[in-house]
Amino acid sequence: MSGSDLELKQEAGVIARLLSYLVLLFASVALFVSAIGIPTSRFEKLGAGAFPKIVFAAMALMSIVAVVDALRQISRHAYISFFAQAAAWTRRRYLVFIVLAAFTAYLFAIPFLGFSVASLVFLFGLQVILMPRRAKSILIAAVVAVVFSFGLNWLFAEVFNVFLPRGVF
Amino acid sequence: MADFLSGAAQIFTLATLIYMFAGSIAGIIAAAIPGFTVTMAIVLTLPLTFTMEPLQGIAVMLSVYVGGYTGGLISAALLGIPGTPSSVATTFDAFPMARNGEPGRALSIGVWASFFGTVISTIVLVFAAPPLALFAVRLGPWEYFSLIVFALTIVASLVGTSVIRGMLAGLIGLAISTVGTDPIMGRPRFDFGIETLQAGLPFLVVLIGIFAISQLVSEVEDAGTVRSGNALVTGTIDFQTWTVMKEVLMRPVNLLRSSIVGVLIGALPGAGGSIANLVAYDQAKRASRTPDTFGTGEPDGIVASEAGNSATAGGGLIPLIGLGIPGSAVDAILMASLMVHGISVGPRLILDHGDLVYGMFIAMVVASLMMLVVSVCSMRLFLRITEVPKWLIVPVVMTCCVVGTFALNNRVTDLYLLVFIGISGYALRALGYSLAPLVLGVILGPIAETNLRRALMTDEDPTLFLTRPISLIFLIAAVLSILWAIRNHTKSNKKKERFPDAPAS
Repeated sequence: MSGSDLELKQEAGVIARLLSYLVLLFASVALFVSAIGIPTSRFEKLGAGAFPKIVFAAMALMSIVAVVDALRQISRHAYISFFAQAAAWTRRRYLVFIVLAAFTAYLFAIPFLGFSVASLVFLFGLQVILMPRRAKSILIAAVVAVVFSFGLNWLFAEVFNVFLPRGVF
Repeated sequence: MADFLSGAAQIFTLATLIYMFAGSIAGIIAAAIPGFTVTMAIVLTLPLTFTMEPLQGIAVMLSVYVGGYTGGLISAALLGIPGTPSSVATTFDAFPMARNGEPGRALSIGVWASFFGTVISTIVLVFAAPPLALFAVRLGPWEYFSLIVFALTIVASLVGTSVIRGMLAGLIGLAISTVGTDPIMGRPRFDFGIETLQAGLPFLVVLIGIFAISQLVSEVEDAGTVRSGNALVTGTIDFQTWTVMKEVLMRPVNLLRSSIVGVLIGALPGAGGSIANLVAYDQAKRASRTPDTFGTGEPDGIVASEAGNSATAGGGLIPLIGLGIPGSAVDAILMASLMVHGISVGPRLILDHGDLVYGMFIAMVVASLMMLVVSVCSMRLFLRITEVPKWLIVPVVMTCCVVGTFALNNRVTDLYLLVFIGISGYALRALGYSLAPLVLGVILGPIAETNLRRALMTDEDPTLFLTRPISLIFLIAAVLSILWAIRNHTKSNKKKERFPDAPAS
């Protein structure tokens, strides 16, 4: 990788952080305003909104400092190549997005399918996606999926008296 | 002396020792699973102790407690996920050490530091319980608030590569702690009409999401190593029991300082192990001649964190025995167990039931010895985790996190929160935010707010924070701590900025 490529990559990271600072700034200002609306009590000088106001004011100030600091570090070229760099970053980490999507689907499926079935599908599916596919690995994945779905459910119900979601079926 | 011997006689019976041994194993296993806390393990043990003698029951629960503090170390070192809030600081150095090919050494240092931390705290407990309990009860909200301000300055040494992002992470943590009903008047805040948020964000769900899920997801960043079937940790698996014991004992100052920090913080009701490990780590870093090596697998960091969190077990018993005030959730359960047996806990406990109190001290030492034996014998088994390939362990631990999250409150909505917090945690990690200050903010936020408001409700004069001597000492310590941090950051300012896609600390 050439020096300028590396520089652009670093600057793309700074732009991504700049966006995060702007999100934090916006959120902290909005929440500060919302904290002003929290009514105070006649029994107390500070009230429920005081501490959040201190926190959000500090957060807004710190975000402004961060934005200024980030703007100093970014060259004009970096803005142009930002989307290309971000797309390349996303492509390099495609497994991360697959895992997050699978995890999200799994958790939203639990109330409907029940813990055991949802876990079985999640565990087996994700292992197959991540593994070097060989007959032995697939067999191990199947056993692990059964043990940590139906087995874990049985352990919690019978030993700890904790009942995991059963689903609607 | 008669009380001491009577207590010892009750502990050293075969049945009690067997129960304690089982308790140790249960504590270690429970805390090693991310999302399962020591508190949860003790709650599950409580019904089993109803049929036992009072001291026997307490001894078993103490074994689970001591074992649990060590169990948190296993997932902290091998997976980079703190099994319990009290092992957050352990991940800073034990995990890099394990990743650098020395998983056995990392675990061994932690186990020995835990053992010595518990023993030192018990010795302190025997001599200092009455005077320390009296000191703790004299602290008012002013002193507590100033103490928390001091604790918040620790953030300065946990910020990682960027002070700004570290401070922002700490503030995000404080902001998270303001969600839900306010701690004094019970007024709803920032719940956006969502029922789950009305009671606030559950701390453990935040911890699991921020540390566990984001860490697990970052394990699969490099598709090449995952697909090749690589294990999480590679390197020689050698526990080096005796060599490491000497290595830990060669750091007597750090060991003693961290244990004393643990005892003192444990003695303050409401603080506990979740703060002690971070404070002890911070103090060790400040006292070190090579603070730059902290966070890269420095043995001193592991010793400080583990000795600090284990010492809170003894410290927490100080207000419980001296005053009948439980310092943490675990102490409250211990107290409940005594009350079930008709023993009232309070200042008269040591006078009326001396054998019980001395028995508890002896049980602490025996429990830590058992923890050591169980750890040394079973660690090879635990180290097998290092041979498990990533493609298997990532989904399995994720499922364990889901079970841990659900079992906390039996609420499906906590699972939705877990997804949200996990994704946010990974985003923050990828953007180079240090996650430790965030967790510290979540822990300290409610304590800071409660004491600030309580202080001003008691007396509207804000100068009391400066005129009460102990409060002033904490505030001066906070200012000195910030100045020290600024000096250090100015020194290391020339360091390169982290690469944009490097994993965050």
